Amino acid sequence: MKERAPLYFASFILAISIVFLASPVSPAKAAEPIIIGVPTALGSIEGADGWRSVQMAVEEINAKGGVAVGGVKRPLKAYSIDTREHEPGIPVHDALTAVEKLILEKKPHAIVLGAFRSEILMASMDLIAKYKLPYICSIAMTPAFQKKIVENYDQYKYMFRNCLNAIYLVKYLQGVMAFLNKEFGFTKAYLTVQDTLWAQATGKGLDAWYKGHGWEVAGFDPYPLGASDFSPSLIKVRAKKAQVIVPIFDMPQSGILLKQARSMKAPALLCGFISPVAPGNAWDVFEGEVEGMINFLFEIGPIPVKAVPKSVAYNENYGKRWGDDARIKLSGHGPGPSYDSVYVLADAIERAGTLEPDALVSALEKTDLTGVVGRIKFAKDHQVVYGVDPKETAIGCAFQWRKPGVRVPVFPEVVAEGKIELPPHMK
Amino acid sequence: MIASMVVYGLVNSVILALIAMGFSLTFGISGVANFAYGGFYLLSGYLTWMLLKYLEFPLALAILVTVLAVGFLGFITYWVILLRVRGIVLSEVIATFALGVGMLEFFRWKGFVTYEFTLPSFIKGGVEIAGVPLDYQRLFIIGIGLALVLFLYFFTHHTRIGLSFRGIAQNERTAISLGIESDWTAALSLAFGSGMAAVAAIVILPLGIISINVGYDVLLIAVAVGIIGGLESVPGILAGSLILGYAQVITGMYLSPEWMMVVYLLAIVLVLAIKPSGLFGKFKELEERV
Repeated sequence: MKERAPLYFASFILAISIVFLASPVSPAKAAEPIIIGVPTALGSIEGADGWRSVQMAVEEINAKGGVAVGGVKRPLKAYSIDTREHEPGIPVHDALTAVEKLILEKKPHAIVLGAFRSEILMASMDLIAKYKLPYICSIAMTPAFQKKIVENYDQYKYMFRNCLNAIYLVKYLQGVMAFLNKEFGFTKAYLTVQDTLWAQATGKGLDAWYKGHGWEVAGFDPYPLGASDFSPSLIKVRAKKAQVIVPIFDMPQSGILLKQARSMKAPALLCGFISPVAPGNAWDVFEGEVEGMINFLFEIGPIPVKAVPKSVAYNENYGKRWGDDARIKLSGHGPGPSYDSVYVLADAIERAGTLEPDALVSALEKTDLTGVVGRIKFAKDHQVVYGVDPKETAIGCAFQWRKPGVRVPVFPEVVAEGKIELPPHMK
Repeated sequence: MIASMVVYGLVNSVILALIAMGFSLTFGISGVANFAYGGFYLLSGYLTWMLLKYLEFPLALAILVTVLAVGFLGFITYWVILLRVRGIVLSEVIATFALGVGMLEFFRWKGFVTYEFTLPSFIKGGVEIAGVPLDYQRLFIIGIGLALVLFLYFFTHHTRIGLSFRGIAQNERTAISLGIESDWTAALSLAFGSGMAAVAAIVILPLGIISINVGYDVLLIAVAVGIIGGLESVPGILAGSLILGYAQVITGMYLSPEWMMVVYLLAIVLVLAIKPSGLFGKFKELEERV
């Protein structure tokens, strides 16, 4: 046995050598992925749909070989973290801690989708400035964000927003209100808003417009996050004979406002934004009580618009990737811009030819491409411009719920498939 | 507007009473402040929703199964969790609170957080009372609230178990000396309290949606109503509910809806500062007089 030991040892070494030699020659090191961070409220419908849309865009770009950076094609890799900021009572610093954890652990080259609450967006601006990370926000809507960028450009220039903001939402609402005034003679509105920055800003913007255009504002009630009893406002709607109730809410509980308005026989048209009423399954969820309501989709995509072929393709592909049930439930705010944000970032990286943050910011500022939401161009305040023509700007749309549970686009004209009608209880 | 305020103030008061009664019943008999109450309430909502959605139970059967299942869970909770800490008030609170938070956060973890979780109204439509439209579901709430109060009175005065409840509530040691089994009675009080949380959830939740924060709100409401009226007193619960119910509606209508939740907190602070036993409570009445 002893004599054979060197033989065994030599055989062992030979076997190991063969294994190594037989291995394929190690290729040149694979291209490093470009890391995208997605810190958002994953438990919210907007956050969940947005995250799925980001993954879809990443998969599509990777399937085509990735993003060219200085002549090398590099794949994208996205990591998410749940900030839980949509839940009542979550402190701002908890959400910020989640954002910083993602930055420190995954070391992203850029952030997309981002903050759900405007309060978190505003609070995270200094954090993003500290790490100099290009950031494209697709949900939080406060106009204060743009103001801060303009006031201190050098510090906050890394942040952009490609979803609708409160100012553009007010403009869309004004368009519909002008139609209601012209067509039905309505002049009395009642505002109920969520007590958050973006919703308050929208409500106040519309309140000012009403007062300058011959309308009477019968009431303006803010509701805290999580509130689900809207009877105080509905009692006043009846007493003051308001003709239009304008709800501005994105919390899940807000959908019940419709059922309460019907059961309390509020004699008014609901026209505004209730997040749970935007998806295609809202008719079934709220047992048909949504009939007649005019709700906004802040950005197209959840409803495909023929004038914007990419919105049609996105809608179809979303169904193929995540199932038709998920497609029907697409939320009215965030999914389209979240998807676009990855393409906007990839486009900017290719034009900049580097991942260096300042060069990326310059490239992002020069963005001009057509996405799911229409034409995407950033204004000087880093907000994508929204309007009524998808060849010129990004667009959102208003639709009306009609029997037998369909969403009929009614505004703006380019997407309208029908005219606004009074709901049965007002005829 | 006044008529609306009176009608909806009454509905709101009955809702608060329905929510608080189960919590009060358990505390009044076993002395256990069941801080898992919000968890049981929310569990009832989700369980009914799942029975209707996935197993396609008829509504009446789903309600029956939910009330019995949640009641049984309350019964089990006593034997598994509370038996070992019974009499150590802080441990009881910590144990039940942890259980409640665990239940609520479990649902959050499993994704029960969207707008889709709603329960159907028993009957659609409504009536007008003094020119104020009121849907049948709210009428059901008023009816079931009154029926529960009557049931509780009858049950605690005319049934063997109910009398043993009162015996334990009045003096546990004397009740034991008369052959009333303390642990069984306390476990039954947990079962009844949890079952009542289920009844409240099933009649109230069709007015809103089933969401996690409802579980936390329900606990706050039950505690607030109990502190105002007296935790162990049924008349106290009714008085506390009427005070809070109308205060909330008036605040919502004449101040702003965003202050409605503050009413609970303010009421708790005021009552604890002025009369810690509540309006009808007896637990600390003697100490307060001294």
